[in-house]
Amino acid sequence: MQIKHILPVLAAAGLVFAGYTVVNSNKPTPIAKAVTEPSTAPFKAFIAGAGIIEAQSQNIAIGTPLPGIVKAVAVKVGDPIQANSPLFYLDDRDTRANLAIKRADLAKAVADVSVAKATYTDAKALSDLAEAVTDRRAISAEELIKRRNAMLISKAKLESAAALVQQAEANVAEIETTLSRLVIRAPVAGVALQVNIRPGEFAQAGFLSTPLLVLGNLEQLHVRVDIDENDAWRFDKSSKAVAFLRGNRQFKVDLVLAYVEPYVVPKKSLTGDSNERVDTRVLQALYRFDREQMPIYVGQQMDVFIETTVTPNAPPEAAPPVAAQGATP
Amino acid sequence: MTLAVHCKQLTKVYDTGGQKVTALNGIDLDISTGELMMLVGPSGCGKTTLISVIAGILDQDAGLCELFGENLLTMRSKDKLNFRARNIGFVFQAFNLLPSLNAAENVSIPLIINGTKRSVAERTAKTVLEQVGLGARWQSLPSQLSGGQQQRVAIARALVHNPRLIVCDEPTSALDHKTGNTVMALLKDVAMHKDRTLVIVTHDARIFNFADRMAEMDDGHIIKIQANTAPPPPHS
Amino acid sequence: MNHIALKMLMGDTGKYIGIVMGLTFASLIMTQQPAIFVGLMSRSYSFISDVGLPDIWVMDAKVQFVDDIKPLQETELYRVRGISGVAWAMPMYKGLLKARLTDGTFQTCNVIGLDDATLIGGPPQMLEGTLEDLRRSDSVIVDIDGATDKLGKPSLLPGGKPTPLKLGDSLELNDRRAIVVGIAKVTRTFQSQPVVYTTYSRAKNYAPRERKLLSFVLVKAKPGQNPAELTRRIREATGLAAYTQAEFMELTYQYFMHNTGIPINFGISVLLGFIVGAAIAGQTFYNFTLENLRQFGVLKAMGTSNWVLLRMILLQAVLVGSIGYGLGVGLTALFGHAMRHTILAFKFPWQLLVFSGAGVSIICVFAALISIIKVIRLEPAIVFKG
Repeated sequence: MQIKHILPVLAAAGLVFAGYTVVNSNKPTPIAKAVTEPSTAPFKAFIAGAGIIEAQSQNIAIGTPLPGIVKAVAVKVGDPIQANSPLFYLDDRDTRANLAIKRADLAKAVADVSVAKATYTDAKALSDLAEAVTDRRAISAEELIKRRNAMLISKAKLESAAALVQQAEANVAEIETTLSRLVIRAPVAGVALQVNIRPGEFAQAGFLSTPLLVLGNLEQLHVRVDIDENDAWRFDKSSKAVAFLRGNRQFKVDLVLAYVEPYVVPKKSLTGDSNERVDTRVLQALYRFDREQMPIYVGQQMDVFIETTVTPNAPPEAAPPVAAQGATP
Repeated sequence: MTLAVHCKQLTKVYDTGGQKVTALNGIDLDISTGELMMLVGPSGCGKTTLISVIAGILDQDAGLCELFGENLLTMRSKDKLNFRARNIGFVFQAFNLLPSLNAAENVSIPLIINGTKRSVAERTAKTVLEQVGLGARWQSLPSQLSGGQQQRVAIARALVHNPRLIVCDEPTSALDHKTGNTVMALLKDVAMHKDRTLVIVTHDARIFNFADRMAEMDDGHIIKIQANTAPPPPHS
Repeated sequence: MNHIALKMLMGDTGKYIGIVMGLTFASLIMTQQPAIFVGLMSRSYSFISDVGLPDIWVMDAKVQFVDDIKPLQETELYRVRGISGVAWAMPMYKGLLKARLTDGTFQTCNVIGLDDATLIGGPPQMLEGTLEDLRRSDSVIVDIDGATDKLGKPSLLPGGKPTPLKLGDSLELNDRRAIVVGIAKVTRTFQSQPVVYTTYSRAKNYAPRERKLLSFVLVKAKPGQNPAELTRRIREATGLAAYTQAEFMELTYQYFMHNTGIPINFGISVLLGFIVGAAIAGQTFYNFTLENLRQFGVLKAMGTSNWVLLRMILLQAVLVGSIGYGLGVGLTALFGHAMRHTILAFKFPWQLLVFSGAGVSIICVFAALISIIKVIRLEPAIVFKG
C-alpha cells in the first residue's frame, strides 16, 4: 500500500483515537458516596440544630460534702439506684475514733451527775437536819448557814453535771452526723451514668470539672437542642420537631417540647474537644421523645430539625418587598 | 463543404504593461469542414493567438469569429464552455498531460468534462488509445512514456469525445523528425474525416506536407494562403 | 472530476505529504498546547469536581478561589441547614498543614476534614482501604501521588526514590499522630500538594488553634430545587457566599485566568502554532496549486467551468485538511495517552476537537481561497505557450 493511501487511514485512526481519548479522559470522576446518608429535614421551613441526649432529671453530678479518701463505692455504672441509697463511702476511721472519745466523755459526764447527786443528797440531809432543830441555840447560826450553803453548792454542781451530760450528748450527735455525711447517698432515684471515683481515691469537695459520679433518671430522656441566636427569633414553641440519629437516618423520632431554657448561653462545641471555643450564643430547648423508638444513649448527638413558619429571609412582621420576594419557595 | 471556421477582420491587442502589442490585425480566414489547415509563420506572428480565439479560449477585441456558424463571443460563458467541451479537441506542444493520471485517465478527461461516467469514459479512452497504438500502455503514467507516445496520448485525448474541430499547437516541435512524422501521420490517419477540421499551428517545415492548406502569418496578418499540392509523405 | 482532483493531489507524493504534514503540525499544536492549558486550568478546580456530591458550596463572602480559605463560625453550618430547600449541609475543613516526615523534613499537605458521621466529600476513588476506615482513631487517608512521592519515606540513599507510604504507616501532622488507613486516587490539583483526608473533628485537632475553622459548608439541594434560587436564598439568609459547583469552579478558574500568566503564555503558543501551521500549510497548498496551474489551465481550456475547478480545489483542501487534522489530533491523543501517568497536565475535551477542527478548516479555506482566486483568474490561453 502506498503512503498516499496510508495517510488517510492513519488520519482516520488518529481521529478515532482522539475521539476515544476525548470520551475516555472526560468521564466524570467518580463521586465518593456518603458513608451514611445524611438526614434531611422533613419540613419546608425549619431550624436545624445539634441536639445532645440527657436524662430528664438532667445529669446530676454528685459531689461530696466532705473531702476524703473513698473507702468503698456502692454502685456500678448503669446500676439502678433507689433514692437515698448509699453511693459511696468515705474513710471514717478518724471520725469513729472521735465518736468513741465523745461517747466516753458522755459516760463520764453521766457518772459525774451521779456523784453530784450523791453529794447533793448528803448536803441536803445535813442541811435538813440542821433546819429541823427548833432550838436555835442547839446549833450555831454559822453551822446552819454552812450546811445550807453546802446544800446549795452541791445542787448547783448537780445541775452543772447534768448540763455537761447534755453537752457530751450533743458532741456524740455531731460526730454521728459527720459520720453519716461520709456516706454519699443518691438524692433521687436514677441510674449511675458515670462513676469516676474508685476506692482509695481522694474525693474533693466543691465543683469538679469531672464529676465524681453522674446520676440521671433514664426513664425519660430529653434532647437538648442548641438553636443559634441568629435563628432564635424563628423558634416557635408549638411547632413540630424531629430528631435523626447521627450515623443512621433510619432512626427518626418525633419530639415534644419539654421546656425552653429562657437564658441564652454561650455555645460549646459538642464535639467533646477539651478546649471548646465559645463562638456564639445559643438558645437551648429541651424536648421529650419516646425512648422505645430509638436505641440511644445519654450524651449522644442528634440532628434536630424544628419546623418554622418563617423562612430566614422573610421576617414575619411587615416584610420588606425585597425579602418577601426571596421567600418564594 | 460547410464552413468550420469563419473569421472576418479579427483583431486582438494585448496590453502588456502599458505597451500595446497587436497580435491579430484584421485576420480574414475561412476553414472548411474536413480540412487540415496549417498556420505557419515566425514566432510572435500571432498564430497561437489566432487558434486561441478560434478555439474560444480567448476573446477577440474586434472582428467576427464564427465556429460552425456560432459566434462564441456572444455566447453565454456557460454555453461557451459546453460548446468548447463538446466540439473542440486540443493537442499541445508540451503535451500537457496531467502527470499524476495514467494514459487512459488522461484520455478520458474530455468525456468526464462532458458528463460521461468515469468507467464508461475510461473504457472509451482505452479503445481510442488502441487506435493510436497505445492500447497496451493505458496504465502508464506520462512520465513512463516517450515524447512520441505522450503526444499520441494527447492526440487520443483530443479525439476521444469526437470533436468537430481539433486545434494543435506545435504538435511536433518537441519531437524528433521521425517521431514527429509518425505523430502527424497518425493525426491525419485517425483524426481526419469529412466532418472534422484540424487547425495546426506549426513552424516545423518538415510536416508542411501533411496540410491541405497553409496560411502563412506574420505580424498579425495572413500573408498568403496556399493549397498543398505535394503528396503526403508515406507512412513510416 | 473529483477523481481527477484527488489524483492530482496525491500524484506528487512529496508535496502531498508536505501539505499534510504542515496541517498535521498545525492541528497538533492547536490541540496539544490547549490540551495542556485546559488540563492545567482544570486542575485549579479539580478539588471541587472531585467532591461531587454537594450541589452548592457555602463559604466566606470574600473567598476568591478554592484554596483561598477564610474560615467560618461553626454555627453557620446550622444556619445553612435551617434554610428551606437544603436537603443537607455538611462541614468541610480544608487547610494547609505541615506534615513531618521521618527524616525530619516538613511537607505542606492539603488536609481535608470530612463530616464525622457521613464522611461526605471523600476522595473519588479508594485504592486501598475504605472511606469508613476514617472512623478509626487517628486515621487519615492519603492520596496516591502524595503517598508515593512527597509524603513517602525519604530514601536512605541521597537522590533515591522515596519509599511509598503503606497502610498502617504513621505521619506527624502538626505534632499529632496520624495513621494511614487508606490510599486514594484524586485528581491532581494545581499546586500538586499531597492530600490528606480525615474527619472534621480530627482535622480541627490537627489544625492550629483558631476561633473559626469551618472552611466550607457543603450543601445538597432538595430534589426539584432550583440551585440558583437556593444559592440566592443562602446568600440572603446568612450573608455568606454560596456558589453552585459550576459557579465555584468558574470562580476558581477565573481567578487563575486573571491572576496568573498561564493563559497568556499558552494563548501565545497556540496562536504561534496556528500562525506557523497556517503559514506552512497555506504556503504549501498555494504552491501546489501554482505548480498545477497549467494543469488547471488545460482543464479550463477543455471546457471545465470555474465552478467545477473550485469544487476540485475545495475537495483537495478538505482532503488534506481532514488528513492533517486527523493525524494531528491523533498525535495529540497519543501524546496524552503516553503522558497519562506523569505529572503533566493534559485534558482533551471535545471542544478542543472542534477548536482545532475550526482552526484547520480556516487554514484550508484560506489556502484554497487564494488558490481558487488564482485559478479563476487564469487565462486558459496560457496552455498554448510552450
